[in-house]
Amino acid sequence: MNNEEKHDSLQGKDTSSTGVEPEMKSVSAKKSRSFFGERPLPAIEMAPRVLHYQSRRDFLVFGAGALAALASGRFLLPQNTLTRLGVGRNTDSPAKEWFLNRALRIDDDVAEALYSVNRRVPTYTKSQITPLKNNYNGTTPDPGYISGWTLTLEGLASGLSISLDIRNLLARFPVQEQITRLVCVEGWSAIAWWAGLRFDDLLRAYSPMSQAKWARVESSVNLDASGNPDPYFMSLDLETARHPQTLLATHFNGQPLTVDHGAPLRLLVPVKLGLKNVKAITKIAYVAEEPRDYWAERGYSRYDGV
Amino acid sequence: MTNSTLPDCEANSTSTLPEQPGVLVVRKHHLLVRCSHWLNVPILLGLVLSGISIYWASPIYQDKPDPTTGNFDVAADIGIWICAHVPGLHHYSSPPDWIYNHMSLGPGMLALGLRLHWFCAYLFMLNGLVYVAGLVIGGGWRALLPRRTDLLDALRMLRYYLGFPFAKLARRQWLHPRFNTKYNALQRAAYFSVPVAGLLSVATGWAIHKPMQLHWLAALFGGYNAARVWHFWLMWVYIFFLVPHVILVFADGWDTLRSMIVGWSTRVGRSGIIANEQ
Repeated sequence: MNNEEKHDSLQGKDTSSTGVEPEMKSVSAKKSRSFFGERPLPAIEMAPRVLHYQSRRDFLVFGAGALAALASGRFLLPQNTLTRLGVGRNTDSPAKEWFLNRALRIDDDVAEALYSVNRRVPTYTKSQITPLKNNYNGTTPDPGYISGWTLTLEGLASGLSISLDIRNLLARFPVQEQITRLVCVEGWSAIAWWAGLRFDDLLRAYSPMSQAKWARVESSVNLDASGNPDPYFMSLDLETARHPQTLLATHFNGQPLTVDHGAPLRLLVPVKLGLKNVKAITKIAYVAEEPRDYWAERGYSRYDGV
Repeated sequence: MTNSTLPDCEANSTSTLPEQPGVLVVRKHHLLVRCSHWLNVPILLGLVLSGISIYWASPIYQDKPDPTTGNFDVAADIGIWICAHVPGLHHYSSPPDWIYNHMSLGPGMLALGLRLHWFCAYLFMLNGLVYVAGLVIGGGWRALLPRRTDLLDALRMLRYYLGFPFAKLARRQWLHPRFNTKYNALQRAAYFSVPVAGLLSVATGWAIHKPMQLHWLAALFGGYNAARVWHFWLMWVYIFFLVPHVILVFADGWDTLRSMIVGWSTRVGRSGIIANEQ
């Protein structure tokens, strides 16, 4: 038996630990019969040079992998974190942004694939209701806007722009009640009792233009942290708007919505994260292309399906 | 020579060297197992760092808000305690952020934390498939399965580890229990539990990522909030595993560490014993 033959058989052995080839010196005497039983590791004889060569190759490959991991950490980690680790140079780049957005889009595509208009979210009993905090990102608006509030619809099949007040809406559409969970992107959630009209009913009464695939849902009364106007706008795919549990809610815990919860009309879309549940909606525009989204522009996902 | 798959330089040198005696080795880890093992290091690090950044936004463990600071996060309390009691940290600029500055990407990085977490989570799932493929192709999965004798053997190993420092101090001989298997019972318990924890982390991760579409999965872990608690503590499984794992690998010696890189080990004795006794 010469060394070359050994090399060949060793190469062939890379993926198998059970088959013992003739030129290998095996110490094992008898094999276990049970399928689940541990098999002995066959001892094989190798030329020291071959071992040396293979080991050097493996160390080089894994070492290169470790360097690649370090480089990708440097590429992907946020600048703040790297600065704390002592990497001073600014590593924020369009490529990093593009790469992480790409990963986010894959996750959004998965979420969209999981969604089904026929799959209902769990509903709860009144005893399971939990407190829901006012999670306005900025200052809670002054209730003065409520008296003159109207909902404007744009992008309709009729080509018209329509304004509806809360009495119109409540008189025209049946009210649906549901006790569902609202899940925030931050991780907390709340089970709350909502009532309102179904978005689907509104879509049937005022059909959007045929090429519309998205709704841009907007609140012009939203304020930023210092109390300045900061319109909140959000994209909602019409597939989700048509979900039987997607409401334009008017009531919370049996009472008309308070300013905290988006009086007089808010979106309640339990199949999306809380940030899609726009409070105090003032305009819904149906559009063909995916509209801008307040939180997507701040680094969050665009689809936000839960 | 014609059918040699090694590079020419290797083959050429053969003819000039006298034949050396062979080395007996056993193949311990399949290439895919070795790759996925090391890939877990950066992936799990990314998951933990981004995960704690996500935790920051809505901590699971909260107490009554502090009347002066409004702080309700137990992790922030721990940071405040550390800065108050650890020498040299008295002037730390933001004690409530100490934990997040040292164990996560940092506070106030929810959007980035989420993006990195999803990225690493998909890699972690792919890596899990690579690991399982390596176990199946290499047949290594059999060595990880729990046995009836494991409880007693694990106690023997525990006794060995606990007595080891005292025996060293007393300069007494302290023999490692003999096992005729690839792993001892404690190792097996650890190496079996960690992949199971990985599976549970993925399952609880999906449960809290998609609690509406996958509400049955969240229900399996006791609901959305309970699944968050599961997911949090599963992270600690890796951390608690890692510390003794690294210590023991170094204690066990170079052969063991090297075998996770090159795949083979020169410790053939044990495998020979299995063969004879089975």
